[in-house]
Amino acid sequence: MSDITIQNLRKTYDDVRAVKGIDLEIDDGEFLVVVGPSGCGKSTTLRMLAGLESVTDGSIAIGDRVVNEVPPKDRSIAMVFQNYALYPHMTAAENMKFGMKSASEFSGDEIERRVEEATETLDIAHLRDRKPKELSGGERQRVAIGRALVREPDVFLMDEPLSNLDAKLRVQMRAELLKLHRDLETTTVYVTHDQTEAMTLGDRVAVLEDGRLQQVAAPQELYDYPSNQFVAGFVGEPAMNFIPASVRQRGDEHVATAPGLSLTLPAGSGLDGIDDDGLTLGVRPEDVSLVSNRAAASESFTAEVTVTEPLGELLLLHCRLGDEEIRVKVEPRSRIAAGDIVELAVDTDRLHLFDSDGDAVYHSSVPEQVTESALAD
Amino acid sequence: MSTATKPYDSTLQAALLLLPTAAVLVAFLYYPALETFRLSLYETLFLGQRQTWTGLGNFVSLLTSDVYRYSFLITVAFAAVVVFGTLGVSLLIGYLIFSVDVRSSVYLVAAIWPYALPPAVAAILLNFILHPNLGIFTHYLELLTPFTLDWFNDGPQAFAILAVVAVWKQLGYNIIFIVAALNNIPEILTENARIDGVGRFRMLYKVYVPMIAPTMTFLVIMNTIYAFFSTFPLVDLMTSGGPSDATNFLIFKLYRDAFQFNSLGLASAQSVILFVVVSILMYLQLRFASGYGRYGG
Repeated sequence: MSDITIQNLRKTYDDVRAVKGIDLEIDDGEFLVVVGPSGCGKSTTLRMLAGLESVTDGSIAIGDRVVNEVPPKDRSIAMVFQNYALYPHMTAAENMKFGMKSASEFSGDEIERRVEEATETLDIAHLRDRKPKELSGGERQRVAIGRALVREPDVFLMDEPLSNLDAKLRVQMRAELLKLHRDLETTTVYVTHDQTEAMTLGDRVAVLEDGRLQQVAAPQELYDYPSNQFVAGFVGEPAMNFIPASVRQRGDEHVATAPGLSLTLPAGSGLDGIDDDGLTLGVRPEDVSLVSNRAAASESFTAEVTVTEPLGELLLLHCRLGDEEIRVKVEPRSRIAAGDIVELAVDTDRLHLFDSDGDAVYHSSVPEQVTESALAD
Repeated sequence: MSTATKPYDSTLQAALLLLPTAAVLVAFLYYPALETFRLSLYETLFLGQRQTWTGLGNFVSLLTSDVYRYSFLITVAFAAVVVFGTLGVSLLIGYLIFSVDVRSSVYLVAAIWPYALPPAVAAILLNFILHPNLGIFTHYLELLTPFTLDWFNDGPQAFAILAVVAVWKQLGYNIIFIVAALNNIPEILTENARIDGVGRFRMLYKVYVPMIAPTMTFLVIMNTIYAFFSTFPLVDLMTSGGPSDATNFLIFKLYRDAFQFNSLGLASAQSVILFVVVSILMYLQLRFASGYGRYGG
C-alpha cells in the first residue's frame, strides 16, 4: 500500500511537450481516474508512473521513495493495458505465472497459491488452460487483470483497460473493478477517455487537457462545480450548454443577458464586481426544463425546437436560442416536435459563469466543503 | 463476371500471355530437370556425346562408393552446423539490434553487408584474411593464442573455416528476417515484461522465439538450401574440396564429376540424390514446424 506524490511532472518528446507540469497527490488506497481527450497526456503520465517513459522534469514518489530512476520492475506496480498484452502462445495460467517465475523471490507453491486465488476472485478458474485466442475480449482482460493481481503490487496502473470491450461488458467489468478495489484497497491509477467510466469508478477524478491538470475532485463535485469551461464541457453527457452572455449589476442583483434570454443570478461570492460582457453562461441540459413542469414561476424564455432525440428515459431537445443551440432534457413522452416553440426555464441553483479565459468565476450554489471552510474562517 | 475483372479476352490470349513465362520455365527448369533425371540412368563419355544405358547402375555405384558416402556424411554435418550456427548467431545479433533504441538501422546495415558481397568476392577476401601464412587474422591469432591455423593441410580445420565463412556469409539474410519479425511483435508485450522484470534472455527464448517461430522455420529451410547448394563458390575458391576430401561436399563433388571428370551420368545421379535428400529434409522441417509455426493473437 502506498500513496503517490507527483510534483511538477513534465515530459517532452523532441519538440512536443506532452505533459506540461502536473502536481498530484494520490492517497494510499485511493482509486484515482485520470480522464481527458486523446492526446491530453494522460497515458504518458501513467507510463511515466510505470517507468516505461523517462521523466523529463519533476518527480514521482511512490510512498517515500522517489522513483524517477527506479526501473519498472522495482516500483512495486502492476499494469493492465488496453489490448491486454497477453502472451499469445501461453495459456491463461502461464500468462499469470510468467512474470512471477521470472522474479526469483517467489516459490512455486506461492505462485500457485496466488494464481489460484486470483482466478477464483475473477471467476476465471475454468479458463486456466486456454490460450488467449480461445478467450473472449472480456475473458482476456480478466486474465490480464489476474496477472496484475498475482503480483500483489502496491499500485495498480490501468491504461484504458475496458476500452476494447463492448458496451454491455464494459458496464459489467466496471462494477467488478469497483468491487475488486473495495476488497483489495490497493492504490489504483486508472486512465480513460470515457467520462462515464471516470465518474463511476473514481474516488476522485483528475481531468487532464493539453498536458495540464484542469481539476482534481470527487466525481459529483467535478460535475457540480467544474473549475473551468473545459471540465464543464467534458464531464456530463450531453455536454453542458454554453451561452455567451453579459452580466450587469442592477441594484443588488446581477442579471445575465444573452439574445433571447435574461436571468437574475442568485447572489454568490463570484459575482462581486462583475459587470462584464464576454462571459459564458453554463447550464446543463437537465437544468433547463419546460415552464409547465416547473412549480415556482421563474424567469422564462422561448426557443424553437430544431431536433428531437428520444433517448428512451428522456427526450433530448435541440433548441435555437438567439444564435446559439442549446440542449434540453424533458419528459420522455412530451408531445414536442421540431419547429415547435417551447417556453423554458432554468434551475437557478445550477448556473455557472466562465470568464473569457474559460475559468469558472461563479457557481450559483456553493460546494459544501467551501461553505464549511468559509464558516471556519 | 464482368469483363472489367477479366484481364484477357479468350483462352488463346491467356495462353499467349503465359507463353513467355512458360517458355523460360521449360527451357531452364523443367527440361534440364528431366534431362538430368534421364542422364542419371546413362553412362556418358565425351561430355555426354556418347551415352550408354545403365539403368540404376550410377546409383548403385554411388551408394557403394566410400568416397560418396563420406561426402554425404560431411555434407550433412556441414549443413547442420551452417543451418543452426547461422540461426543462432543471427538470433543473438538480431536481438541486440532489435533491443537498441538509437541508430538501430545503422547496426542493421552493418550486420547485413556480408550478404551483399558476391560469394566469390567474399571467398577470395577471406582467403587472404585467413591465409595460413599471410593472413592478418592468422597472424594475430597465432600471436595472441596458442592456436595455429593450418587449414590448407588440416581437414577438420578446413571444415571449420568453411563453416564459419558460410555462416558469416548468410548472417545478413537471417538478420533481416529476424529483426523484421521481432519488430512485428507488439511492443506492449515488451513493456509488460519490463514491468514484470523478465530477464532479457528469458524473454528471448520464452516469448520472442516462440512468437517468431514461423520466420525461424522459413529461415531453417532457406539455410538448408543455402548450405547444400549455395556454398559451392566458397568450397571451390577456398579449399577445392580438400585437404584429402575433408570439404568435398556433395555439390562440389557433383560439379567435379561432371565437368572435371566428364561423368555427366554419374553427376546427374548425384543431382537426383541431392534433390531427393533436400526435398525430404524440407518436408520433415515443415512437418516438425507446423506445430510451432502458428500462434493466435
